Amino acid sequence: MPKLTMTINNKQIEPMEISEEIMMIEYLHEYLNLTGTKFGCGQGECSACEIIVDHKDGTSESVKTCINSALTFQGKKIRTIEGHAKKNAKGYAVKLNPVQEAFAKQFSFQCGWCTPGFTNRATLLLEELEKNPIKKEDLRTHISEHLNSHLCRCTGYVKYFKALEDLILSKKGLTL
Amino acid sequence: MKKLTILWTIFLFPLVVCASKDTTLIKKGEYLSKIADCFACHTADKGEPYGGGVPFITPFGNVYSTNISSDKKAGIGSYTYEEFYDALHKGIGKHGNLYPAMPFTSFYLITDEDTKALYAYMMSIKPVSQKNRDNEISFPFNIRAGLKTWNLVNLSNEKFVPEEDKSEKYNRGNYLINSLGHCGECHTPRNSMMAMDKKRKLEGNLIVGYVAPSLQSVELRRQEWTLKDLVSVMKNGYSRRGTVLGHMTPIIYHSLSNVSHEDLEAMASYLLDSDEEVETKALTFNGHDKKDPGYLLYTGYCTSCHGINGEGIPNTTPALAGNATLNTKKPLNTMLTIIYGIKNERYSQTNAFGHMPSYNFTDEEMTNLINYLQKTFTNIGIKHSLEEIQAFKEEVIKGMENAEH
Repeated sequence: MPKLTMTINNKQIEPMEISEEIMMIEYLHEYLNLTGTKFGCGQGECSACEIIVDHKDGTSESVKTCINSALTFQGKKIRTIEGHAKKNAKGYAVKLNPVQEAFAKQFSFQCGWCTPGFTNRATLLLEELEKNPIKKEDLRTHISEHLNSHLCRCTGYVKYFKALEDLILSKKGLTL
Repeated sequence: MKKLTILWTIFLFPLVVCASKDTTLIKKGEYLSKIADCFACHTADKGEPYGGGVPFITPFGNVYSTNISSDKKAGIGSYTYEEFYDALHKGIGKHGNLYPAMPFTSFYLITDEDTKALYAYMMSIKPVSQKNRDNEISFPFNIRAGLKTWNLVNLSNEKFVPEEDKSEKYNRGNYLINSLGHCGECHTPRNSMMAMDKKRKLEGNLIVGYVAPSLQSVELRRQEWTLKDLVSVMKNGYSRRGTVLGHMTPIIYHSLSNVSHEDLEAMASYLLDSDEEVETKALTFNGHDKKDPGYLLYTGYCTSCHGINGEGIPNTTPALAGNATLNTKKPLNTMLTIIYGIKNERYSQTNAFGHMPSYNFTDEEMTNLINYLQKTFTNIGIKHSLEEIQAFKEEVIKGMENAEH
């Protein structure tokens, strides 16, 4: 069986033998106890299970974990929902990242199942806008396109959208 | 009382009989129009029913379907039966020759009786005033008179003749597939004049980015289709041998899912050239070869939906084991689904399969994966070289680009 290793939330994971049949989400849940990533549809439709993969060339992408095996993440650098908030010395989260804070303040979610996926994708959007700001008038379309593949069955997207729009507009340098 | 009875007999009874006869004819026409799928080609996205405006992308430019509602000005409401017959059988409309995007090279086989029913139905539908869109055809193909010559060479005026040594069921299928169903318009390759190549009937064809697969009985039998499988794929859009995709999906939705079981069986009987059910074979799964470079690609990206052993998920994801789309010498549709993914496919109001994401594999990965899928889930016994896969990929991408422009 191949040995799997990767970097998750800046922590190098010890190589371990993993069956090629194990999906990434199972690996996170059952082998690493990282249960923040949620299993939604299991068919790559809802995007609840998305995590961030940071590539060596400096680009990042949001990748589904329910339909890709753990081995497809071999050697990659990954961020999950557990990695966003700042933690104290004991490992407790003490400050949410701006996206998490905006979603919480705006009551963007109810059951919260889709939130890790939304948070990861929105975090990527913020990082992208820091590098390449866009015109204010294009922002709403840009957010819609960015979050388009994420499904939510509680709040109807409006609050996620509003939280993210307000956050982006409140930060300098993200829009022109 | 007696007088009343006489009055009823003389005046009202014939009216009731006529109305009932008309209703029966219209109902029949409505059913036949479903087989011919008039709605799909003559109803634009968010447009009025039968209002036309659906674009047909051809090498010569875009042709737009026309309004065929019963509106006397914008539609065909002013057509006499003879004019309607000519449009269907000879490709001649009131405004001149029709472009062969209208499948009159198949419809010429429709019987008079069925044409009458279709006419009765089309004249009964709601008039829609949506204006026809001008075609965007380049010179010299925009000169409709040239179509007369095309028709002389490519259009037959023969009537449908049942094959004497075949059953009624087979011949009903033959009639439906080749006339109303106009299956050959996509599934038969076109010749240099862009007409159906009669020598290669139903051999399969690359059209608007997709492969309309071979429907020849030899190929269908090699792929181990049964009559039941064919009826299932036509009725539901999916079967033990896989699903339809691309432009076939709306055809299932608007047309074939509404066709009677009896007629679907007849069509399957014609396609498989058999009145009786053929032997049902187990779905092919040749076991995994864990040393094959395609194995980790398969388990990495395919198994969560298509299953460890290619079994799929009922009503959601097709099985790969024994899948006919995989079981072809040139697996272009397989490659196409990998490169472009598939949107949710809605086959009827109650049946829909899930989407498939697109994958950006290297050519080497694509070669390994396709070879692995064919080796594991079919008995076709072909191993493609990297160069072959690159050529297929080019063909797929070119086909898709042409379809979009």
